[in-house]
Amino acid sequence: MAVSAPGVSVRPLTELDIESITRIDEKVTGLYRPDFWESRVAYYLRRDPEASRVAEVNGEVVGFMLGDVRGGEFGLEETSGWIERFGVDPSQRGQGLGRKLFDELAAYFRSAGAKSLRTLVDTRQAETEKFLRAVGFENSELVALEAPLDGDKR
Amino acid sequence: MKIDTATLPKKYLDAIDHWCRHNFTDLPLLEKYWSKYFPNDDEFCLCAKLDVATSKTVEVGDKRGEAKSETPAELGPEAAKHLLPIIRAQASTEFGSIQQHQVTIDRAQNDQDRFWVLRVMAEELRHGYQMFHLLTSRDWSSVTDVKPEDMVEDVLQMKTGSHVLEAFNLAYDSFVDNVVFAAVIDRVGKYQLTMQKVCAYRPFAQSMPPMLREEAFHLAAGVVPMRRWMESAAKGDPFVTVRGLQHSINKWLPRGLEMFGDERGGDTNVKLGFKDKKNLDAQTLYYKELERLVRDLNLRYLRARHPEKSGEAIEGMLAKLVRDPSAKGGDELLFLPHPHFFRRRGEPAYRMVGIRGESFASVDAYLAHLAENLSEAYLASRDMRGYADTLRELAAGTLTPEAAAKRAPKLERQSSVCPCSKSVRWVEVNGNGNGNGKGHERR
Repeated sequence: MAVSAPGVSVRPLTELDIESITRIDEKVTGLYRPDFWESRVAYYLRRDPEASRVAEVNGEVVGFMLGDVRGGEFGLEETSGWIERFGVDPSQRGQGLGRKLFDELAAYFRSAGAKSLRTLVDTRQAETEKFLRAVGFENSELVALEAPLDGDKR
Repeated sequence: MKIDTATLPKKYLDAIDHWCRHNFTDLPLLEKYWSKYFPNDDEFCLCAKLDVATSKTVEVGDKRGEAKSETPAELGPEAAKHLLPIIRAQASTEFGSIQQHQVTIDRAQNDQDRFWVLRVMAEELRHGYQMFHLLTSRDWSSVTDVKPEDMVEDVLQMKTGSHVLEAFNLAYDSFVDNVVFAAVIDRVGKYQLTMQKVCAYRPFAQSMPPMLREEAFHLAAGVVPMRRWMESAAKGDPFVTVRGLQHSINKWLPRGLEMFGDERGGDTNVKLGFKDKKNLDAQTLYYKELERLVRDLNLRYLRARHPEKSGEAIEGMLAKLVRDPSAKGGDELLFLPHPHFFRRRGEPAYRMVGIRGESFASVDAYLAHLAENLSEAYLASRDMRGYADTLRELAAGTLTPEAAAKRAPKLERQSSVCPCSKSVRWVEVNGNGNGNGKGHERR
């Protein structure tokens, strides 16, 4: 479904977006990880190809947001839309592409019966957290916990 | 997408189950290991799925704006007569691809590739089931004397060699074909299903979105292994080569282009409101999409071949090699054959156009050119023998181009008591293909 901004469109993810997503990620992180993105894109395509979206400017993929609708995890009975990976080409930032991608995913999740949106963010990634708060995410009662498995620290 | 599901009556389920025991022997294996390879995904469901939200109004053609038909009788005889063979052909492709995949699936280099293809096969089975639902849940007697039971058996008795479309009559030579088929031929399926989303026959239109949703992974099941093979080839793995992938693309692309129908046609489908694009328009988009696939595969190859270079440098290198394939390294890359290469249907049928678009005047020179660009296993096939014989007859003037374009080696069932009974006799159709007119027993 195209958005109205001239030259910009947002559409569902396809398998031919792997190369562009890999390049965007490389520009953002400095890491070239084709194997990783091949696995992730295949995963989201088999889960629900309409849930994940890419943004194009003049036909070139410059942003992506990957997610799916799930329920029953972490004791959460209600169906939630999970946003898990996203990125925008650094040269294309400031045009609201992340917001457009988010709006499309949120609309799709709503139509698929999701009652809320969920994600996890690394607090060391201040820019990512700022973006997520700007689109409406707030602190949840759920807290992400982790424990090391290298050696017995108990 | 809100989905309604429907199931077939037991007699059809039994027929499909019986068919699977002979043609999809790995289905139980997939079911056993489903949660290992597809954790958190819903279990495979063999059922018909219908999109509830599909428009109730005709979206294209002469009846645009009118209510879509819910039954063949509402469609009217002309439109229903046109649609029925489309559904039959679609059903044939679904069951046909399973038969092709099953033969070489155990040759996959790893279990992930194998189980991805197995999932593709299972979902093709569901798509075939979907087509049977369309054929049997409504009354088609206004346009055909064939009973629903016989429509189902007609499709289930088809084999590689007797399917409706030629892409489904070619045997796979290796697991490379399983993967390239998914990337190239399933992509045609994506285009057909997308065009048919508007279909004026609403049950058919409703069937498309759930099928398309599954088709997205089928394309990934082709493209991702191809990308990984390109990387392995660039690193010197001698087992899957760029040349092997190229030969497989050369084999399947011409048949894929022909699946869109004659380049000059497609008006009737648009006029009747069955599709929203004419044949050439859809075929052109398909070809452009494959150009993008080949570009991505080459980038994957070059990045692995020159790990010291940046992404920008690799893109520059590829652009130069595409402009001048004769430059050093150009012969290592994949390329998309010319759309008129090795064609036997449609506007460029039997024109003897080379892989880069060059013309050939002599049949022998053209066949030698094909021999350079196709795998040895495929060259030794019945399909190639029939193609060569037809080409020679055309050149000798003993066959018209129109007759040649309608000709294909084809096997037809002589008689049977059950869709996959060993008593079935297969005969080459008299006067069709390279046969001598004398039927011969196939098995």
